[in-house]
Amino acid sequence: MVVLWQSHKLNLQILIMKKTIIQGLLITAIFFATWFVLAKVEWISIFKVQKVSDKTEEKLGELFWEIFLKSEREVKNPFIVNSVDSIVTKICSKNKISRWLIKIHLIYKEDINAFALPNGHLVVYSGLILNSENPEELSGIISHEIAHIQLNHVMKKLIKEIGLTMLISMTTGNGGSEIIKETAKMLSSSAFDRSLEKEADMKAVEYLINSKVNPEPFANFLYKLSDLEDPTTKYLSWLRTHPDSKERAEYIIEYSRYKKLTFESILSKETWDKLKNKLKD
Amino acid sequence: MKNKTKFSYEPSEHEAEKASNSYLMSLIAIVAGLPLPIINLIATLAFYLGNRKATYFVRWHCTQSLLSQFSLFFINSCSFWWTISIIFTDATITNKYIGYLVAAVIFNLAEFIATIYTAIQTRKGIHVEWWFYGNLTNLICKS
Repeated sequence: MVVLWQSHKLNLQILIMKKTIIQGLLITAIFFATWFVLAKVEWISIFKVQKVSDKTEEKLGELFWEIFLKSEREVKNPFIVNSVDSIVTKICSKNKISRWLIKIHLIYKEDINAFALPNGHLVVYSGLILNSENPEELSGIISHEIAHIQLNHVMKKLIKEIGLTMLISMTTGNGGSEIIKETAKMLSSSAFDRSLEKEADMKAVEYLINSKVNPEPFANFLYKLSDLEDPTTKYLSWLRTHPDSKERAEYIIEYSRYKKLTFESILSKETWDKLKNKLKD
Repeated sequence: MKNKTKFSYEPSEHEAEKASNSYLMSLIAIVAGLPLPIINLIATLAFYLGNRKATYFVRWHCTQSLLSQFSLFFINSCSFWWTISIIFTDATITNKYIGYLVAAVIFNLAEFIATIYTAIQTRKGIHVEWWFYGNLTNLICKS
């Protein structure tokens, strides 16, 4: 009788345990289902989070670009501007990026540098163009910077380095011109996190392949820069702001190796040579 | 989600008060623990440990209130660390994040209401078993 009662008690315990496990799983499922459904709601637009940050980004882009415009000389030659523009247009159109999002600016400066500012401003120094052996190398760097813009790295970096409150106060005119200048300088002369750089590299290779541009010259360019005897030389800004170039060149080659590739020339040799000559003048 | 069932014996006035207090403890701790989720778990755990040798009715309700805090602890911890990562790292505010926060608020609110209700009922000496947590407590807490 005792054995029977104990076995009945055990069975009851097992039944309760099973019921509890099912209920536990159900409660977990209910939570995840609630989350899943709620995540589908466009909270960002409801709370206008994006709108606020979009406006801030737009203002910051203008502010920083004005700083460069005041201190540097912009390339105005229509042939040079149109040639570089055609590279950007091709990369954008082949990668479904709205062309108007990228505002390309060319500046006369010996530094081998290019960098992205908020709101799609992309600044390229003449030194970079003159030191690129072919348009594919230049396309690689441009693609890399477009990738930073498209992946929202610029704003991420700014928020991390100086904080959203400070950025917003800059746009409302309370930031102080010195801080704005320093921030603009920081954007042009310091690197992103290693993971962000790699992400931008991979995206750049994708952009290049979609545009039928060989990514190998981009990797070669990095190799070439890293092989130079004195990498701290004052003109190699892009190298200083983008460390581990050898390693990056290697994974770019590795990444593009397994892709089915057919390439076209992004700029004719004649246009490229003329562009460089005009820049030297 | 709640079941009013008969307890194995009729709890005394003193027991009902103590059992009800366990829910009140977690209620106060929810408010204090909102910014730091570990606080409500610690508070409920402290109350539970303090009543380990109490009568079955009191122990039972302390266990149920402790167990219910566990799930909230996980939910709120995720919200807390996700928010921290948004403030201090590259992470940004997304629909997923806000959706998670809203889900967390709904679950916290449900727990809050259930806790108030149970605290009132328990104070009257009425035994309330929560869905899932009641069964779990039955498995853990032995007379």
